[in-house]
Parts: sequence; structure tokens; C-alpha cells
Amino acid sequence: MGANSTASVGRYWRYRDLVRNLVIANIKVRYQGAALGFLWSLGNPLAMILLYDFVFTHVFRSNLPNYILYLIIGVLHYNLFAQSVSQGCDSLTGAASLAQKIYFPRILIPTASLAFTLVLWLVAILILVVLYPILGGVYHWGLVLYPLALVLYLSFIWGIVLSFSVLQVEYRDLKHLVEIGIMFLFWFTPIGYDIHVLKPHTQFLISLNPLTQFMDVFHALLYSATLPTVKNVLIVVAWTLASVAVGMLLFRAKARHLVEDL
Amino acid sequence: MTAVQVTGLSKEFVLRHNRAMGIKTKFLSLFHQSKRERRERFLALDDVSFRVAQGEALGLLGHNGSGKSTLLQIIAGILQPSAGTVTVNGRVAPLIQLGVGFNPELTGLENIFLNASLYGFLNREIKPMLEAIIDFSELSQFIDTPLKNYSSGMQMRLGFSVAVHLQPDILLADEILAVGDQDFQKKCHDRIAQMRADGMTLILVSHSPEQVERFCDQYIRLDHGRVVESGRMQPAPSPTALLG
Repeated sequence: MGANSTASVGRYWRYRDLVRNLVIANIKVRYQGAALGFLWSLGNPLAMILLYDFVFTHVFRSNLPNYILYLIIGVLHYNLFAQSVSQGCDSLTGAASLAQKIYFPRILIPTASLAFTLVLWLVAILILVVLYPILGGVYHWGLVLYPLALVLYLSFIWGIVLSFSVLQVEYRDLKHLVEIGIMFLFWFTPIGYDIHVLKPHTQFLISLNPLTQFMDVFHALLYSATLPTVKNVLIVVAWTLASVAVGMLLFRAKARHLVEDL
Repeated sequence: MTAVQVTGLSKEFVLRHNRAMGIKTKFLSLFHQSKRERRERFLALDDVSFRVAQGEALGLLGHNGSGKSTLLQIIAGILQPSAGTVTVNGRVAPLIQLGVGFNPELTGLENIFLNASLYGFLNREIKPMLEAIIDFSELSQFIDTPLKNYSSGMQMRLGFSVAVHLQPDILLADEILAVGDQDFQKKCHDRIAQMRADGMTLILVSHSPEQVERFCDQYIRLDHGRVVESGRMQPAPSPTALLG
């Protein structure tokens, strides 16, 4: 197993420029002809943040200090999940004509789709980097753990993207369901509100959502300027391992005959 | 040395009539006989065996639907065999379609990198070959304009040029030897003959016995997935003779 997986990682590594070229191609095609180009990936999250800020400060009152910072952290990280999963769903079905004509590791298709979303997201995260001190963010040593948290989060998303991209090949309704699910999940994640204002049994339900656990980590590091609790970290790691395991198993099981079903 | 060894190869496809692509249809099929999925097994390849030595050229002949392209896809690793084995020694370049992955919005240059990376090449490995690729395609004037402005012949020229410059050990070609105008076709044929002389193995799918006769030293004829005829060309053409 050990030697085998090292060999297959080496084989994927050989194709690293394929992922890179696919991502670059997608970016060029997407922003072609738009005067503001790349900056448009800021537009959507910015509009969302303004909207939610209005809703949560004027319509529903929130007592959180530095509320906008809290909100931006949640919205940006939720967006990464939402866009990756929704795009990843039809990554394989969209690449049918490619996959039927040449062999390359199929796992790179959903992976390139995630990488594409990530690149756009890294531009959007500039909003946070620029506004961080203004909105009350504190620079503390815990921030060096943030990249680690982000890697865990991305792995968790990668596992889901792998699973959904494979399932989409067989169940073409999946994408529609996923988009509705993403809409619902937003409100079942503490993004615009503090989980502690909820009734205990609602709190329990919301904490079953893996995204709640990830948000807790991000809020701890970026908003409260503390470290996440050990329990919180363990749950996040467990969710990540589960997601990656399911994703890779599903992909392995289906990859061999994927082309025939596309 | 053996380049490609195919032993007892069979490929079965499951034809799914009325395939339920959605949840609604899946649900309906529980109650309606007519909406139920019917599965039919279809043997695209039936116990095919052959061997191609390194540097040899094999022609695959047969009618539409005889299994030629399926065989090529299996050797290329795109499809998995249902039974039997395929052993390949060397780097395979499938040319099932010229310019796989070409994106019409990208420039010719960008598409060269994209196309080559599908064959497992790194961008830095392609850079030294760029000049040769562009020269051969005769498209240097248009290379930084989007591919959507190219004619289909120009796109094929670019695709062919990338493929032949990647120096594959084994070239799998599916009806691709009609690229561009007469002059360019001659150039392509010469190039393939040159690569053959340098020791490249070729597997060529074709409708045309003349083409197979010209490029190959052995052939196989497939019909309904079975090998019905096979043999060597007499006399075997020497690859260098084609260069003249």
C-alpha cells in the first residue's frame, strides 16, 4: 500500500502543470472582456457582506462587538465552501469530452475545479486582510495557526467535492439539490449570529453541522484572538478525515468506469 | 522488445436503455414498467490478442462499430478492459482527436501548453520545444490570437504539431492523417515516417486499406469485436523509403 500510494502520488505530481494550466485557462475565460477583470471576484462577497450587515444590524439586532468582522469571517469562509462544492459538482460531467479522448488521472478534474475556486477566493480574502485592523481585528500569535486551519478546511471541502463530482455522474439531480442545501446550510451555520444566543437544543443541532465547527475555529483565531478549544480542533480533524476518506473511496470505486457513464 | 502486448482482451459495454438520469425517473420506474431501465450487454471486443514489437506499425481495419476505436481507447488507458490484459512499454500518446482540450478562448500559444500538459508534460519541458512546434504548424503569425479565430484546418495543424513534437514511444492514431491541405498532409506523413525510422511504434486506426498499406507493416481486421483477419504487409515498407 505504502509503495503503491507513493507511486500514484508521483504520477499525479507529474501532471501538476495540467492543474495549473486548467486553472489559468478558467480564469482567463471567465474574466475575459470584463473591464474590472479579476476584481469581480471581490464584488460578490462584498455585496453579500453589505447586505447581511444591513440585515443583522438594522433588522435583527446583534449584540456582538465588532460585528462586521465576525460577519466577514463567516461569509468569506462559507463562500469558499459554497462555491467549491457547487462548482465541483459538475466538474466531471463538464469534462466528459476531455476524459473520453485522453488518459490522465481523473482525480485532477475535481481538484482543478477546487483550485480554481480557491484562487478566486484568495483575491476575495484580500477584503479581510485590508480591513482586519480597521474592523477591530487583533494581531496575535495564534494567527500563525490560521494557514493550518485553512488547509484542514480545504481538505474537508476537497473530500466533499470528490464525492459529489462522482455522484453527479450517476445522479444528475444532485447539483440542484446541493444548491438548495447550500442555501439552507448558510442559516444553519453561525455566520450572522452567535451560536450562544440560541436555545440549548437548537445549539446542539447547529453544532452537528461540520461547518459550525470550522467557523468556531476561524472565529476563535480571527475574531476572538484566542486559540480554538481542543475539543473543537479534534472534531474538525475528525470531520476532515471522514470527508477525505469517503471522497477518496468513492472516487476510487467509481473512477475506473467513470468514462463509460459520462 | 514488445511495445504493446494485448492478450485475450474483451470489452463489454452495458447499454442502458431508458437510463434514469434523474431521481424523478428513478422513482417513476418503480411503478411504470415502460419507464424501467433495460440493460443490454454488448460485446465491443471479443477475445482480441496481438503483439506489436517496438518500432513496428500496426494498422487496425474494420467497419464503423467494429471495435477499432474501443481497442485504441483501452490501449491508451482511457477505458478499462472487461477481461484480458494490455501491457504497454513506453510512453503512449493517443491521438484520438487532434488538439484535445483546446480552448477556443485561449491563444494558440496557451493552448499548446494546455494540450501538452494533458499528455503529462510540464510547462518548462514544453518551452524548449515551442519554436519547433510553432514552425511545424506554420502558424507563427497567428500564435498569439485566440483559437476561435482559427479555421478548423489550422486548429488541426496545431494539434498535430504538438502531438508529434512530444516524441512518444507509441503513437495511437485514430483517422488523423488527413490534416490540412495536400502540402501539409505530405509534411505530416513525412514526419510520421521520420518518427517511425527513429524507432517509434505506431498503431493506426483507419478505414482505408491503402493508408494502412502505406504506413504499416502488419494489420488486423476487426468485425463485431473479433479479429477476422490479420497479416503482414508484403513486402514490408521500409520507413526511410517513404521519406523521399
